[in-house]
Amino acid sequence: MAGDEIMDSGFGQILVNLDKLRTLVRQYVDAHQYSSALFWADKVSSLSNGEGQDVYWLAQCMFLTGQYHRASHLIRSKKLDKKNAACRYLAARCHAEVREWQQALHILDKLDLEARVGPQVRSDDGKDDKLQFDCGIPQHRVESSIALMRGKIFESLDNRDQATESYRTALKLDVYCEEAFQLLVSHHMLTAQEERELIESLPFAKQCPEEEVELVRLLYETKLKKYDKPRELEIPTSLDPLHENLDVVVNQAERNYYNCNFRTAYKITSKVLQQDPYHNTCLPLHIACLTELKKTTELFYLGHKLVDLYPTDPVAWFAVGCYYLTVGGKHDVARRYLTKATTLNRMFGPAWLAFGHSFAEEAEHDQAMAAYFTAAQLMKGCHLPVLYIGLEYGMTNNLKLAERFFKQALNIAPEDPFVLHEMGVVAFQNGDLDTAEKYFMDALEKVQAIEKEMLTEKWEPLLNNLGHVCRKLGRYEESLTYHRQALVLCPQNPSTMAAIGFVHSLQSHFDMAIDYFHKALGLRRDDTFSVTMLAQTIELYIGEMKPYEGAEELPEKFEGIPLPEYNVADVGDVKLGDVTAELKLEGDGPMMLESWGQDASTSSLDIEVEMEDS
Amino acid sequence: MADLKEKVDLKSAKKELIVAVRECRDRGLVQTAKWLTEQSAALKPLEPGEFPAFPTDTPDFLQEYDAYNVARSYYDVREYDRAAHVLRDCGSQKAYFLCMYSRYMGGEKKRGDAMADSLGPLKAGQDQCGWLRTLREELHQKESDLDGYSLYLYGVVLRRLGLQQEAITALLSAINKEPLHWGAWLELAMLINDKANLVALSVPNHWMKQFFLAHCYLELQMNEDALTQLQGLADKGFSLSTWVKAQTANAYHNMRQVEPAVDLLKQLHAEDPYRLDNMDTLSNLLYVKEMRAELSHLAHSVCQVDKFRVETCCVIGNYYSLRGQHEKAVLYFQRALKLNPNYLSAWTLMGHEYMEMKNTSAAIQAYRHAIEVNRRDYRAWYGLGQTYEILKMPFYCLYYYRQAHQLRPNDSRMLMALGECYEKLDRLLEAIKCYWRAYSVVDQEGMALVKLAKLHELIKEDQQAAAFYTAFVQQSEMMGTVDVEEQCQAYRYLANHYLKHKDLDQATFYARRCCDFASTREEGKSLLQQISGLRSNQGDDSSLSQSIAEGRPAVTPVTATPTSSVPPMNLTFTS
Repeated sequence: MAGDEIMDSGFGQILVNLDKLRTLVRQYVDAHQYSSALFWADKVSSLSNGEGQDVYWLAQCMFLTGQYHRASHLIRSKKLDKKNAACRYLAARCHAEVREWQQALHILDKLDLEARVGPQVRSDDGKDDKLQFDCGIPQHRVESSIALMRGKIFESLDNRDQATESYRTALKLDVYCEEAFQLLVSHHMLTAQEERELIESLPFAKQCPEEEVELVRLLYETKLKKYDKPRELEIPTSLDPLHENLDVVVNQAERNYYNCNFRTAYKITSKVLQQDPYHNTCLPLHIACLTELKKTTELFYLGHKLVDLYPTDPVAWFAVGCYYLTVGGKHDVARRYLTKATTLNRMFGPAWLAFGHSFAEEAEHDQAMAAYFTAAQLMKGCHLPVLYIGLEYGMTNNLKLAERFFKQALNIAPEDPFVLHEMGVVAFQNGDLDTAEKYFMDALEKVQAIEKEMLTEKWEPLLNNLGHVCRKLGRYEESLTYHRQALVLCPQNPSTMAAIGFVHSLQSHFDMAIDYFHKALGLRRDDTFSVTMLAQTIELYIGEMKPYEGAEELPEKFEGIPLPEYNVADVGDVKLGDVTAELKLEGDGPMMLESWGQDASTSSLDIEVEMEDS
Repeated sequence: MADLKEKVDLKSAKKELIVAVRECRDRGLVQTAKWLTEQSAALKPLEPGEFPAFPTDTPDFLQEYDAYNVARSYYDVREYDRAAHVLRDCGSQKAYFLCMYSRYMGGEKKRGDAMADSLGPLKAGQDQCGWLRTLREELHQKESDLDGYSLYLYGVVLRRLGLQQEAITALLSAINKEPLHWGAWLELAMLINDKANLVALSVPNHWMKQFFLAHCYLELQMNEDALTQLQGLADKGFSLSTWVKAQTANAYHNMRQVEPAVDLLKQLHAEDPYRLDNMDTLSNLLYVKEMRAELSHLAHSVCQVDKFRVETCCVIGNYYSLRGQHEKAVLYFQRALKLNPNYLSAWTLMGHEYMEMKNTSAAIQAYRHAIEVNRRDYRAWYGLGQTYEILKMPFYCLYYYRQAHQLRPNDSRMLMALGECYEKLDRLLEAIKCYWRAYSVVDQEGMALVKLAKLHELIKEDQQAAAFYTAFVQQSEMMGTVDVEEQCQAYRYLANHYLKHKDLDQATFYARRCCDFASTREEGKSLLQQISGLRSNQGDDSSLSQSIAEGRPAVTPVTATPTSSVPPMNLTFTS
């Protein structure tokens, strides 16, 4: 047996079974007793005179005990990195652990080609047999790990394009390499389109046994970007056995969140967190739901727990930052904590976006844009930062720039109803009503395709905007339908009521108009638009109407009162449903009656009065 | 509209009532249960063998029975959210209804608790609607599965959110499924705004419909119809029902026939001294009649029964108002509103009090709240009109008076107010029309005629003006009301008028009348002098003074006999 070697040292013969020792080393590694493992691995490698795998395992043990430079030096001094891919990987890994990126990269790049060629070519080099060994990892996986490592190094060096490439290679080499996929997706390096292409291109069939092809593929698909368009909520049937699996459930929750069903998403995430209180993917989503639903007490408690247990995890500080954002008025405190989150992990997208939002809420547009720009750089494939930049430009009245950014967002995510909605608003502000209408209708279609019955109240501004557009185009009945739908979604909204009143007054239904303006004012007393319009409409109404029912029973010779003409100035800033208008009134008030005819009314009086004389 | 000739099978009605009472009680609908029991008690008692069998519970309900029991007891002690939480997963109809209803009541309670102490400017209800919207979404998702009671709750939520059409649909289905649920009928009545809507409603043809129609007629101020309807109900066997009696009293009150209303309500109070339900109407009537002792007695007795009921607070408020202590009155009305912010009369009465205290802005607030609660309260519209009149915003004032008028087309006060507004806006023709209309619907204050006369005077319609003045003076003589200023102006005008038209007898008559009043004495005297001057030109003599002494205008033919002009100083007056 090869393992049994009789060593002849000066002290007599030591019969050592190297294989047993090797197993011993492995067992200690499994039991996390790394020091013991290191000791024995050292002895084994000396005993076997530096055989490849022993050196490899010795280096492993050094790595596991944190002695990175020692491990790297060992491998390189034995020239193992040149010959064996796994050793190279380990050496590079050691340097990466201590963040010596350049050194790591250097090691990986060396003799890259040679390693790729594979062990088969080595057969002619008999002398190097000693250095070949099976480290228990299939070759393609090793290569994939190398590519993954390379990608991580590139990312830390801010070379994102190379990083993306490397991750892609890693995935291609080993389809099961979920980490590469996860990094690609969570750091939003690819647009939705590219992600889908990637999945298509992966050689599932080659690397997976038959039955697993579907499973792996579907699991990856569930991780895909969900923010580009609202989607259906069911899980594909082949994943049914997994439907209790928390990852899959979280995916459900995320879809709900994007479709703006915040309560459903919250219920799902709460259940998940009951089962697994610190589930990584679920936590940011849960925090987001809590922020949307304004459940400050829960956020507070969660933030405290997370910070106590995982102070180095950016999610914890993200929770704290969100709490301060939700409570309101404590934006600088929130920012402090969000910065901490981003320092811990630069690529933590949600923290950057929240950071930008905190500026936006305080109307500090420049700072907000700076934050969003950083986010956009970091999350290339995600259209959300670009969308928010466009919003900020819109609020600072740079319509052209806003439009540009919205177009960019549209390029990245052509089917997102939020983006379409914003494009519509920009078109409206430019006065291009037809385009605006087209965009709004597009957005509405997309949303309605998913939520067949009742839209969530997030979409109430969209309906209101459609109403405004139709009104500008002169289609009053349509406008009324949209506004009413918006009212159904958000029943006590004074702007909607004012808008409906306005349409009615344009249609000369003054009594309805007055009614709605009263309601709007009842909800919000300082709305100048409603106040002005109410005064105008009352005057017009009273001018037009007869004093009481049946006033025309007395024969009268009045001509109809001609109404004054009036121009309605542009209704500005209809984003998010605000209605402000300047009303220019031309012409006088209602004109006085032309004729004071001799009515029969007087004659009837005569009859009455005559009775008295007799 | 109502088929009054339909007989009601009282026995089956009573059985239905008994069953319905239990169903409502099970679900925590206590007010409806109270009403139903009262009507049931008004009917003859059933024989022991005739008692109806109660519907058996469905098996899924029996499974959830424990949860239901626990929840019901939490509901009874008003721990609404707790009750809802216990029942959160229940599926049977009764349990589901109780769960949703507890959530609704819980939300209401929180809203009531959260209201600021001072009822000045109330915050807008926007953020208070979040829980209503959640409720609505959930009910909407299960809409096709809901039973009658849950549909009623859905209708209530929709109405609160302002979605009237949907609310009406939901309530109609609720009523169709559970015709005895009086609460649902009441909610529906709140959504009916005018007669046309009422006719167009497709309510089931159940005997409860009679009650509903009576209630609606009263709400819509169709008082004669209401009286007929109530009489019909009494004839059919509900004559002992306190509700019928009380509503009859309300009808009389609306028609401003104070005596019968007061009688009926006093009867009710005597029958059941602990009944507080319509005592605030009684206090309104006593206030109008200024029956201080009675009102004081009523206030003390209701205070002893229960100090913290809306009706009691309204009564006491009226009492203080009658005594002139308006601040205290306002305090009590505010207390009434804290107990029940939707109690319409309290808002309106508080508005009146603020008007008395000349606090116009608070009055406007109060009236507006009254209108938000119930659009059909004509007193609130009228009050708003008055406040805007004080604020000198004539168009608004016109609009509000018009609304008030539309609610009560035959009430002359609204028309008079409208007329005055038009006058202020210088739209005299419309004003004339209003006054004319007011006169034709029996103006109780007698002011229409004189206003008409004045307006015609302004538009130089002398004939008409004279006619009106004449009618006015006759009316004031008949009615005995003496508005001295107006009367003397009337006489003055008439005298001048007849003088212009050379009708010297009439002129003399009225000139003499002028002399009765201090302010026009001088003018009267000068007129008489003028008249005598003219007469002497025409040559009439002592026969004229004779007729003057008699005080009746003698229509004597004016002879054209020339006489020598009698100098004025020779005339003697007999006063």
